[in-house]
Amino acid sequence: MKRAITFPLAILALALAPPAQAEALTDVAEIVERANLAAYYAGDDGRSEARMIIEDAQDRRQLRQFTVLRRNREVGGDQDFMVFFSRPSDVRGTVFLVAKHVERDDDRWLYLPGLDLVRRISAGDKRTSFVGSHFFYEDVSGRNPADDEHRLVETTEEHYVLESKPKSPGTVEFERYVTRIDRETFLPTKTEYYDGRERVYRVMEVLGVEEIGGHPTVTQSRISDPLSGGNTLMEFRYTEYDVGLPADVFSERYLRTPPVDWLRRSGE
Amino acid sequence: MHATWLLLVMLGLALAAGAVALAEPDDDAWGGEEDDPFAEFEDEDWDDPWATRGGGLSWTGFIEGGLGARWEDVENLDRLTLGELRLRAETRYDHGGFRVDFKGDLLWDHVIEDLDTQVRELAVTFSPATSVDLKLGRQVLTWGTGDLLFLNDLFPKDFISFFAGRDEDYLKSPSDTARMSIFTAPVNIDLAWTPRFQPDDYLYGERFVFWNPMLGEPAAPAEPRRADEPSNGELALRLFRTVAATEYALYGYTGRWKQPLGVNAAGEPAFPKLHAWGASVRTPVHKGIFNAEAAWYDSRDDRRGDDPRTPNSELRLLLGYDQELVRNLTAGTQLYAEHIQHHDRLLENSLDPEHERDEWRTVATLRLTYRALQDTLTSSLFVFVSPSDEDYYLRPAVSWRRDDHWLFSAGLNLFGGRAEHTFFGQLEDNSNGWVRLRYYY
Repeated sequence: MKRAITFPLAILALALAPPAQAEALTDVAEIVERANLAAYYAGDDGRSEARMIIEDAQDRRQLRQFTVLRRNREVGGDQDFMVFFSRPSDVRGTVFLVAKHVERDDDRWLYLPGLDLVRRISAGDKRTSFVGSHFFYEDVSGRNPADDEHRLVETTEEHYVLESKPKSPGTVEFERYVTRIDRETFLPTKTEYYDGRERVYRVMEVLGVEEIGGHPTVTQSRISDPLSGGNTLMEFRYTEYDVGLPADVFSERYLRTPPVDWLRRSGE
Repeated sequence: MHATWLLLVMLGLALAAGAVALAEPDDDAWGGEEDDPFAEFEDEDWDDPWATRGGGLSWTGFIEGGLGARWEDVENLDRLTLGELRLRAETRYDHGGFRVDFKGDLLWDHVIEDLDTQVRELAVTFSPATSVDLKLGRQVLTWGTGDLLFLNDLFPKDFISFFAGRDEDYLKSPSDTARMSIFTAPVNIDLAWTPRFQPDDYLYGERFVFWNPMLGEPAAPAEPRRADEPSNGELALRLFRTVAATEYALYGYTGRWKQPLGVNAAGEPAFPKLHAWGASVRTPVHKGIFNAEAAWYDSRDDRRGDDPRTPNSELRLLLGYDQELVRNLTAGTQLYAEHIQHHDRLLENSLDPEHERDEWRTVATLRLTYRALQDTLTSSLFVFVSPSDEDYYLRPAVSWRRDDHWLFSAGLNLFGGRAEHTFFGQLEDNSNGWVRLRYYY
């Protein structure tokens, strides 16, 4: 019930807030940077529980549930992520470790508990399905803003509307994407991806935002494929920031032995 | 054929049971609450997965039926190479810094007509000091950088499961081991002590044929018999460190050859003593991951290499590279070599020099994996080819994950070669196809 109460409150708070900023920003680089920080770098570190409902065109639904730990090495720069899967049972115990780099390819490891195997995964295409969902790896860890050319196409009462085109079109599946960024929170609230035939084939929408530890935080979002009919709804709960995660949590030791003290919700 | 029909019936029953179990949550799960897809999973499902549990344990696992058969009729063996119904149960218990993991199988194996319980994991994990982890009990252990090629990983492997088409997880057998991991700034240390030697599950004639030097052809013995296992222990050591993106490791092992490659005084197969030393490195190169590994197998009882009853020492070398070629298609390739020390003495003293291994055995591997349909359909091919032995082993497989519960998979194990005595060539009559159906609960 917690969400049911806080979610309308968050909307109310936004509605009652004074007009976003007296002066709208006009520098697209600044908007992009602030949006990147708001969406992916809140706090020095964070833990959150997440689940996804994956729905295909035939309305078949699947669930993924996991706990995410994140630590910023540098604000706006390199980060460490660790994802511990708890459901469904075929992926339970699987752990995914990513050292995200801005200047070079990410380092990625996967721990498979059935074999006690720490597998190194090649950096590869970050725009592929994250554990079978409609989210891409890049949606979870953040696309490097420097990979695209951004243009501010419109400033509305509530949003900055940006159009972005890839610097190397051969490496991505989109022709361009259009993002609406909240002027108040700087969170991207909707992104539409266009293919070569000017069709919107992929949409990201934010469905819920809460303020947690002083950071406006996306608690619910959805990625849908209008052309194929599938979508994935992602929900975050029990998000905490600045929990004091030590750097060495993001290592082979804790792939094999989950750092339960850091995974557990505070106060339990 | 009797056996096959019985298995089909069992598989049908398993399916029916699974379908019933599936139908229940499906009916009321999504029906009523169209607007909230999480309705089924509301609040109690947000139980902290990492909380110290007050109540009972939570169990997960699967039921699986598998069928597989060889193409060729061979003497002393059934056509059936895989025929089983398996129930897996797993749980975990956390309390006060102690964690207990359990994984166990109840297995009806129709090939050997046996009902068996197998504990794959029953171990307690805790940290006696800040930078020390201990895991005591039955567990599966893996290290090293090879992909289905093992140099410094001398933990037990189950080749029978691997060749029969069981899940790749079953390639690793558990052992009763005390594992201590020490984490320090300059280097991390892993020590695995197995008080009682745990060999591989090697071919001994129950399900597969292998080269029989007495008969001069691959065959299954009329009475399959495993070699006596020594009661000595094994100790395995790994020192490892990651510097920037590069992983370095050194390895040591003292124990025995994991398969009965020797012959004892009574003329029976035996496990000779083995020491092993090695090193590995793994690092990103270009768009992929490069790995290199070497191991020296010091055959303690035949260092001169002139005892035909004991394997010679050998050097093992591996180079590997893995990369995503295009979206969702990954390729990995490896070059592997084994070099026998004092090969000339091996031949001089051999009772059967014609069928001894070459001084160098080389193997190249290729793994292709393609994921489609939102990662639900995975097609893969693993190829082993040996230029020196002129033999091969192909493992094509496909698996479809219908939803969170059902997994269908099928594949082939194809062996062949010019000669009948080489590593993969001797397995030619074991070529088989298999299907598996698994329901996760």
